[in-house]
Amino acid sequence: MRYVHLYFTCIKRSMISRLEYKKDTIVALFSFFFSNFCSLAAIYFILQAIPALAGYSLYEVGFFYGFSMMPIALDHLFSDELWLVAYRRVQEGDMDMHFLRPVPVLFQVFAETFQPEGFGELILGVALIAVCASNLTVTLSFGAVAVLVVGALFGALIITSLKVAMAALAFIFKRSGPLLQIIYNFSSYAKYPLAIYPAFIRVFLIFVIPFGLFISLPVDTLLHGTNDPWLLSLSIIGCAAVFFALSVWVWTACERRYESTGS
Amino acid sequence: MLKKYKPFLRAGAIDTMTYRFNIMIWAVITVCQVACLVFLWLAVYRSSTGGIDAEIHGFTFRDMIAYVVLTTVFNYVTFNNDTLWFINNDIKKGTIGNYLIKPISYRGKYAATSFGSLLTMTVLFGLPFYTAALVTLRCLGFLPWVTFPAFFAHLGLFLLAGLCASLLNDAIAYIFGILCFYTTSAWGLNSLKGTLISFLSGTLLPLAFFPAGLRNVLSWMPFAGMSQNPVLILMMKYDLPQSLRCIALSAAWIVALELLAKLLFSRAIRKVTVQGG
Repeated sequence: MRYVHLYFTCIKRSMISRLEYKKDTIVALFSFFFSNFCSLAAIYFILQAIPALAGYSLYEVGFFYGFSMMPIALDHLFSDELWLVAYRRVQEGDMDMHFLRPVPVLFQVFAETFQPEGFGELILGVALIAVCASNLTVTLSFGAVAVLVVGALFGALIITSLKVAMAALAFIFKRSGPLLQIIYNFSSYAKYPLAIYPAFIRVFLIFVIPFGLFISLPVDTLLHGTNDPWLLSLSIIGCAAVFFALSVWVWTACERRYESTGS
Repeated sequence: MLKKYKPFLRAGAIDTMTYRFNIMIWAVITVCQVACLVFLWLAVYRSSTGGIDAEIHGFTFRDMIAYVVLTTVFNYVTFNNDTLWFINNDIKKGTIGNYLIKPISYRGKYAATSFGSLLTMTVLFGLPFYTAALVTLRCLGFLPWVTFPAFFAHLGLFLLAGLCASLLNDAIAYIFGILCFYTTSAWGLNSLKGTLISFLSGTLLPLAFFPAGLRNVLSWMPFAGMSQNPVLILMMKYDLPQSLRCIALSAAWIVALELLAKLLFSRAIRKVTVQGG
């Protein structure tokens, strides 16, 4: 309870400092919508030239794109501060203050920023899913919808865990941003159906950096019933549990080795 | 005796290594991104009615891969530009006041800085990366082998077009920098500029894929000259008159954008808000 109260107090403070740059925030929001619009336009232009992409129609590809934004947006809302930790804050000796406070450092990092831009992503993703779904004939079973919800929620947890583990390495190496970037960029692979990739990439996206497991497989399950929805839900939840536990373990282990750069 | 220099030796070695490390990281990120695009295009061409050997909007699969690789190298070498951030810093730290009383042009200062950066990037990274990319693409059959005179003629045109692209990019960065006078922060403007250029310049997708109306408008805009046209010149897809036409259009736009920048700057400078020194 204390932590909930503390979280909201911190977030309120961060929002106030954000409002200082109101015009820039508006430009950033606009730029975000524009950037997604451009990516979608590019996909649309490509699909105008061919009948279907590896057997997937325009609306199906749009559905993949829209759904891929769900877990990414949810993660974006809460854990944006990890980028700063990985890229700058450890290197600049800016983390010391967190070690002096009687609250876990990881909690403080999460309480540092709340990114309302994530809502824009969420709204755009839902709109895209709605438009594409209304143009598709899908048989909505309870299980298939459930696996999408599980994929979005626990997928977000998996992304956050990956980010926590990568950012934690900055405690040892001073700067782990680029590494985080490399891992995170694989999310762009999950914007398309797994069917377009060769087998080794598919295995990689399901078993190693599992963006495919919680984005592509659930959508495939809804559109074509390729997997058993309950088994898939269970695998995603299990995977999220393992990733979460591992990331907290990595964070604690790295945190102990933290040495201030003092500059 | 030599012992006391050991820390410097170590520092120097580590410095160079971090530098190399940065390039390596950039290479890994880029290879992952390019690989994703290669798989996407492979799927696109396999799914097309003509199969993998089809030509879509003037591009075969081989052309497209060469285009993706060369635009990636081109953007890395040409668009290493910090003008927007420099101006934003000048506004934030209040140092812009100092420049206004110095007998040099504010615009000239950053144009020169960008040009210096372009030279270093071209010699240090452009030379090895373009050579590696062009030789590899030719050996793998993604680009046709050509005679030396034809190649060097296009190389010369390409360098000219590349210079124009860099100047256009710098002018646009400067204009966005001036807009920082109004927003006081550069993050949003910088990402807007990036998106705008990557979409309209043909980096994201060659403009040939765009619908006819939009394509016609864009053929008169400066953006195609910033990425698509130079790369297509290097790939020898444009003949001499076509290349010269592209370069002339870019040159005209450079003049127009610089005039616009001058106008904007003289208006914006009246309402400088600095956030402290």
